[in-house]
Amino acid sequence: MARPRVGIFGLTGCGGDQLQILNMEDELLDLVARLNIVDFQEGSSRKEEGPLDIAFVEGTVSTEKDLHHLRDIRERAIILVALGNCATDGGVQAMRNEETTLEERMKEVYGAKVTITEALEPRPLEAYVKVDHSIPGCPVEKDEVLRGITSLLHGDSPPRYTYPVCVECKLLEYPCLILEENKPCLGPVIRAGCKARCPGLGLDCIGCRGPIEGGVNYAAELKMLLNKGYTREYIMNRLKVFSGKLPEDLTEGAR
Amino acid sequence: MSRTISVEELTRVEGHGGIEVVLSRKKVKSVKFQIFEGPRFFEHLIKGVHYEKIPDITRRICAICTASHSLASIGAIENAFRVQATPQTRLLRDLLIHGETIESHALHVFMLALPDFLGYPDAISMASEHLDAVKMALHLKKVGNMIHTALSGREVHGMNERVGGFSRVPSEAQLKKVMNELLEVIPVTELAVKLLASVELPQYGDSENLLMAIDSGPRFGYMGDHVLTSKGERVPESKYLSLTNEKVVGHSYAKFSRYGGGPFMVGALPRMVLSGSKMDGDAGELYKQHRGLIKAGNSLSNNLCQALELVHDVQRAVNDIDELLSMGLRHEEPVEYEVFEARGVNAIEAPRGLLYHDYSFDGEGRVVKANIITPTAQNAANIEKDARVIAGNLATEDDAAIKKAIEVMVRAYDPCISCSVHLTRVK
Repeated sequence: MARPRVGIFGLTGCGGDQLQILNMEDELLDLVARLNIVDFQEGSSRKEEGPLDIAFVEGTVSTEKDLHHLRDIRERAIILVALGNCATDGGVQAMRNEETTLEERMKEVYGAKVTITEALEPRPLEAYVKVDHSIPGCPVEKDEVLRGITSLLHGDSPPRYTYPVCVECKLLEYPCLILEENKPCLGPVIRAGCKARCPGLGLDCIGCRGPIEGGVNYAAELKMLLNKGYTREYIMNRLKVFSGKLPEDLTEGAR
Repeated sequence: MSRTISVEELTRVEGHGGIEVVLSRKKVKSVKFQIFEGPRFFEHLIKGVHYEKIPDITRRICAICTASHSLASIGAIENAFRVQATPQTRLLRDLLIHGETIESHALHVFMLALPDFLGYPDAISMASEHLDAVKMALHLKKVGNMIHTALSGREVHGMNERVGGFSRVPSEAQLKKVMNELLEVIPVTELAVKLLASVELPQYGDSENLLMAIDSGPRFGYMGDHVLTSKGERVPESKYLSLTNEKVVGHSYAKFSRYGGGPFMVGALPRMVLSGSKMDGDAGELYKQHRGLIKAGNSLSNNLCQALELVHDVQRAVNDIDELLSMGLRHEEPVEYEVFEARGVNAIEAPRGLLYHDYSFDGEGRVVKANIITPTAQNAANIEKDARVIAGNLATEDDAAIKKAIEVMVRAYDPCISCSVHLTRVK
């Protein structure tokens, strides 16, 4: 693709995935030379309407305005890439989706008198539109974004991770935090690509890259952590942090 | 005849917001700083969550001030459980918060604000004529991120700073590498001051600002346990609610703070006015030379104050590393402590101004109540005040001129709209 028209957009979120693009200090100037960035709210006042070859979208759909914006982007873009955990899985703001209603949250926080009707339950992009590619992570890894963009420029798909954090953790020869230190690590069920950053610092994986693509054996993870003495409530709370969804094999069978 | 002037989407800011002014017969009828960013309910999300994982969640309120949130969060937890961090931990945290400010200010001063003053839509277009300056700014930003990565684990949403200390203390080699880079970027920080000092600031927005900043003790800095106001008060962080009465407004998901019934300002300008004279070394010299340009009543001088802070930040980071290396880095584990039913509050200076985290825990260390007040939520009412003054003074000008003036003013605050939508108080 020769210098595609690119838009970089943010719905509701922390802006961290767009920031990771600005954080590529060594590559940024070369990168923008290869892309015709026509809209990047966080980085530029330039804003052009019209068709897009590639749209990168971070954040969740959390308001009617987000939804309208996303649908407009989808209509304009040939390729739509979900950028980061909010866009791919719902992110931290979705962690209570199955527990409380939006109305309850609203009332608790703003009081009964306020009615703000524009808010929606936080959802990832694919709840509303077709997503062509996903780059996961909270935040996205810079090298993964770079490789993703390079792949797209060559008409290929960004890399996908169908294996867990444990694989990278073992390749780097870190000690297993579950087996050796009894820590509640989510590495066995979370998709790789981060080079096991947290286990590398002696910290259990908290799941910021979302579940491995394809089948995940949550029941085995649950059983292992129960055996280590963690309560079901504690483990469930942790599994929900980055999407709000409880895996089906836990809500149904594993009780 | 009334006319409505609206900046529908502020650009080169983090998050989504706009501002709308209604003028009637050259008088300002209403001003609304609108925040479109959706609500995220963090205080609600963390209810019932074990304290140990709280900083991992609350730091995700904001990407650009992720360490400020994690350190405020850790500070509040440590205040609740009466945890005493070691001197080494305190120094490493000081280094981290200065690194975050370098990254954030470098991004804002050079890439987001400076294009306004030099007349470009963004830093990338600015690069065509000021390539060296843009490359130098990227280098400075990168050094801030290097500190972040060495101490926190990555540039955005790290993990290594914990309650009681650090999971892994960085190596001397890592710190030396950061030190070498820091020494290289000193001229960039001085360039920032030179560039911003040469900008003649418009005065159409001048109006009284009530200022608040942390009392950082004898040295200039971003941590402390009291808050100073320009009325001469010194308030303990635990009494922050008396400073930040929050109010729900119909046009935004961010609550607006008021003090004594009126707006107030937090950020680099308040820090510089209230504590700038504490800066030492080259930063202290530059402060003395430029003190006359810092106007408490001109919010646009916030950018020059950020530039002066950049000089201080790099200098302080070098000092912190020097001190750490001369003490000899020890690979200490986080300190041990008891968990009990308790409440803890912590205030910290995020790059954009005062940030408060306040948690109450049950006996198991789970959150039962939380409140987080971000700098932009505190500044929102002051931004409306400034917009009102600007629109009033420029009422005879055309819409485009008023719009531009308001947009430049809002950007000078370096607002973080994602942050401001924090949604408060879990009952």
